[in-house]
Amino acid sequence: MSDTMVNDKYETFVGLEIHIHLLTESKMFCGCKANYGDEPNTNVCPVCLGYPGVLPTVNQKAMKMGYTVARALNCRLSRKTYFERKNYFYPDMPKNYQISQFQEPVGVEGFMEFEYNDEIKKIRIHDVHLEEDAGKMIHAGDMSLQDFNRAGYPLLEIVTEPDLKSGEETEAFLRAFRRMVRYLGVCDGNMDEGSMKCDANISINTPGAGLGTKVELKNMNSPRFVRRGLQYEAQRQAKALDEGVKLIQETRLWNENRDITESMRTKEMANDYRYFPEPDMPPFCPDDSFMADVEKEQVELPLARKHKIMRKYGISSEQAEFIHDEKVNADYFEQVMALGADAQAVYTWLSSDVQKELNLLNMTLTESPLSPERFSELLKLMDDGKISGKIAKQVLIDVFEEDRDPSAIVEEKGLSQISDPQAIGAVIEKVMAANEEVVKAIREGEQKQKGFLVGQIMKETGGRAAPALVQKILSEKLR
Amino acid sequence: MKDIDGWKSVLTDQDRAKKYREYVTGWEKKIGSLLEWKLPEAGKIKSSEGILASVPFAVKDNIAVEGFKLTCGSKILEYVKAPYTATGVANLQKTGALVMGKANLDEFGMGSSTDNSALQKTNNPYDTSRVAGGSSGGSAAAVAAGIVPFALGTDTGGSVRQPAGFCGVYGLKPTYGVVSRYGLTAYASSLEVCGVCARTVDTTRTVFHAIRGMDGMDQTTIDYDPVSPEVKTVGVLKVEEGSLSEEVAASYRVSKDRLNKLGYAVKEIEIPAMEYVVPAYYTIATAEASANLARFNGMRYGLSPIFAESPDDLMRYSRNMGFGEEVKTRILLGTFVLRSGFQDQYYVRAQKIRTLIRQELDEIFTDCDVIMLPVFPTAPFHHGQSELTSFQQKQADVYTCLANMTGSPGLAVPSTLEKGLPVGVQFMAPPCGEERLFTVAEALEKEFPAPRPAGYSEEWRA
Repeated sequence: MSDTMVNDKYETFVGLEIHIHLLTESKMFCGCKANYGDEPNTNVCPVCLGYPGVLPTVNQKAMKMGYTVARALNCRLSRKTYFERKNYFYPDMPKNYQISQFQEPVGVEGFMEFEYNDEIKKIRIHDVHLEEDAGKMIHAGDMSLQDFNRAGYPLLEIVTEPDLKSGEETEAFLRAFRRMVRYLGVCDGNMDEGSMKCDANISINTPGAGLGTKVELKNMNSPRFVRRGLQYEAQRQAKALDEGVKLIQETRLWNENRDITESMRTKEMANDYRYFPEPDMPPFCPDDSFMADVEKEQVELPLARKHKIMRKYGISSEQAEFIHDEKVNADYFEQVMALGADAQAVYTWLSSDVQKELNLLNMTLTESPLSPERFSELLKLMDDGKISGKIAKQVLIDVFEEDRDPSAIVEEKGLSQISDPQAIGAVIEKVMAANEEVVKAIREGEQKQKGFLVGQIMKETGGRAAPALVQKILSEKLR
Repeated sequence: MKDIDGWKSVLTDQDRAKKYREYVTGWEKKIGSLLEWKLPEAGKIKSSEGILASVPFAVKDNIAVEGFKLTCGSKILEYVKAPYTATGVANLQKTGALVMGKANLDEFGMGSSTDNSALQKTNNPYDTSRVAGGSSGGSAAAVAAGIVPFALGTDTGGSVRQPAGFCGVYGLKPTYGVVSRYGLTAYASSLEVCGVCARTVDTTRTVFHAIRGMDGMDQTTIDYDPVSPEVKTVGVLKVEEGSLSEEVAASYRVSKDRLNKLGYAVKEIEIPAMEYVVPAYYTIATAEASANLARFNGMRYGLSPIFAESPDDLMRYSRNMGFGEEVKTRILLGTFVLRSGFQDQYYVRAQKIRTLIRQELDEIFTDCDVIMLPVFPTAPFHHGQSELTSFQQKQADVYTCLANMTGSPGLAVPSTLEKGLPVGVQFMAPPCGEERLFTVAEALEKEFPAPRPAGYSEEWRA
C-alpha cells in the first residue's frame, strides 16, 4: 500500500492549524506575567479578566515573535497588520470575543520545507496570525471552576494549506515544525503541556478529483496522536465512501482512550464569528528598524543546519538528525569541533555517555558542567593516550559531579595511563606469581584463561595500564 | 474670581460643608441625578495646591473610580465595585479635585433620556416631570442644579451634549482620542469619548485640559495638537422647515442673530450626507456594542443566578435578567448587522458613509472655522415615550452623532429658555479645534450665561 493513498484508492489532504504559546514575559494585551502554571487566578488583572472599561495594549515582543516566525516561514509580511474581534461565547473567555487577526495577519503565503522519507517536502503556509488564549475550566464534582492565568496568553496560529498527504507525513512535519520554533526561541513546543497545539483538517478523494469533504480533528495532544487520529479518520472516511455514505462537514474529537474520532459538531452548529476590526487598537505598521530586528532574529533553520553539519563534518544523516534536533546541541557540537575533535567520536560520546549523564541529572547540555572546552579536553586526553576509554567514562562522570576540568581530575586522582613497559612488566610478574595454576594452564594451551590474568592486571593498576601494552607484554611473558 | 474657585472651600470649611450636604440632599430628592454619593469629612481632605484643589465633581457611572461602584445603570452590574480608576478621572484627581458621586445614566449609555437606567429615575431640574436627557442625564442635571461645578460624562452619539442642552449647561465632546477611554465602559469604542458637563466655559476648558493626554493604557489616544483658536467664520447648518420643534427653531434663530451681532461672518452650510448619519451611526454603534457587552455574562462579576445547570445556562440567565430592553435590542441589532454574508451590506457600508461624511466636513472646514447646528430637535420631553418613541429618539440623534462619526469636537452651549425650559445650540470644530469652540462659547456666554433653575443656590460657596 502506498504511503499516501488510503487503501490504494483515495488521496488524502491534510491541513493544519497550529497554535503556539509565545515565550514572552507578559501576556498579549496586558502586563500580567505569562505563567499559567502558577496558583490559579494569580496572574490576572482587570484587563485580562475583561472588567468594564479596560482596553488592550499590544505586547511588542509578541508582535516581533509573530513576524519572526512568519519570516522564517517565508511569508509575505504585512506592513499594516491589525487585530479583529472574533465573537463567540465561551465560559472561560473573559470578553466573549477573542482578539485575533483575520483580514490582515502578520504574514501570508509562505512555505516550510521539511524532510520526510529522505525527500525534501514543501508545505504551503496560508497565514500566520497573532491572538490571545482563553482561561481554563476545571470541573470538580458538580461544580465548574475557572482559572484565568492563561487568559490573554499570547498565541501564534500558523495555518497550512492542505498539502500534507498522510498521518505519517503530518507527524514528521509537526516534529520539524516544533524543532523550528524551538530554534527560533519563540516557543518550547511541548504539545503534552499544551504550549503547542494542533488541529487538523482532513479530507480524502479519488485521485485527481481535488479536495473532499473536510473534517476538522481536535484534541490530539502529541504528534503521535495527530498521526493516529489522521490515520483513523482516513480509514473511517474511506470506509464511508466505499459504502456510498455521504460524508458531512463536521468537527470531530480524537479520543485517545478509545483510539477513535467522535463527532463534536456539524457545520450547521458552527459559530458565525462576526469578525470586525478591533477598534481599541490602531493598525500596527512595522518600520524599517522593526523589520531589521526581525531579520536579526532569523537563525539557520534546522533543515539547512542538518545538511550543513553532514557536509562539513562528514557524518551520516542519522547522526546529523540527532545532533541538530536541538539548536543548542548543534551549536555545542560545532563548538567542540572548532576546538579540534573527531566528529565520529564527538557524536558517539554525545549520543551515549553524555546523554546518559544528562538524563540522569535531568539537565540540558548547555546548563551542564561539561563545557565544550572540557569535552574537547577529555577527548584529547584519550587521543593522546593519557587515559583509556574506560577511564574517560569515569572522568566524564567526575566532571558532571565535581564541575572541574578533566585534566585536573586525571592529575589529582592519578588516573593517567601507565604506559611504561617496565612498570607494567612488574605488575604482570606479580600477578603471574600469585596465579601459578592459571599460568600453567595457559601454557598448556588453555588460552581462554588469559582474559582472567588481564582482568587481574587491570584491577591491580586501577584500570590505568595501557591495554595494548598489557596484551603485548603478557603474551611475551607467557611464552 | 473664577467661578470654579468658589468651590474650593465647599468641602474644607465645616459650615459650608454642612450647608452643601443639605443642598445636595434636597436636590437629590427632587432630581435623582446621583446613584451614589459621599462627601469626605472636612478634616480628612488632604490639602492640595492643584488648580482644582478640593473641588467636588461627579462622574457618570459607566466610568471607573476605585472606591465607588460601576453600575453603568444596569442590573447586571448593580453591585459591581470598580477595581481601578479611569485615566481621565485619575488625571483630574491629580489637580486636587474630589469625586463626590456617581451620576445616573441610560443603561450602558444607550438612550437620550436617562429613562433607560435600570436603577433610578432622573428628572430635569427645570421640570421634574421631564427628562434630563441622556445618556449622561445625571451628570448634566447635577451640574444644572448646582450640586457640582462640573461632571464627567461620556459621549457616544451625543450623550454629553444632548443632556447638557436639556439642562442648560455646557457639554463638551472632545476630539476622539484626545481623552483616554481607559476606564470608560465601552459601548461603541470607535465613536465614544469622555466628555465634560460644566456650568461655565472656563470650567469646561479647565477640566478638558486636566483630563486629556496620551495614555499608555489606551493605544487610540493621540497627541493634542491644537488648531488656531481664532474664529472668524461660522458655518450655520441650514435646517429644513419642520425638522425642529417651534421652541428649538426659535432658539436656533436667536443664536444665529447673536453670532451676527458679535461680528462673526455667518455662512449658511449644508451637509448632504447628513441623511445617512443616523442609520450608519446605529449600524456601527450596535455592531461594536454587541461585542463590547458580550463580556457581561455573570461569570467573573455581576448579576448571576444562584444555581445553573451549566456555564451556558448561567450566562443565558444572567444576561436575560441583567440587561434592559433597549440594551437587548441594540445587542441584537449589532449581531444582525455583523452576521456572515451581510457585512458588506451593513457594517462595511456604514464605514464608507462615515468616510464620506468626514470628507464633506473637511470640505466645510476649509472655509468655516466652526459650524453651528442644533443639539436636539426638541426641548426636554416628558418621561416615557408618549412624545418621542424610542425610534424617534434615535432619529433625533442626527445633529449630535455627526461629531462622533467624524471624531471632531462638539460643544453644546445654552441658547435660551423656552417656556421655562433650557434649549441649547451646538458648535463643531475640526479635530483638535476645542479652543475654537471655547472662543465662540465664551463670546456667547456674555450674551447668555448658563441659566439657573428654581431652587438653585450658591449661598454655601465662597
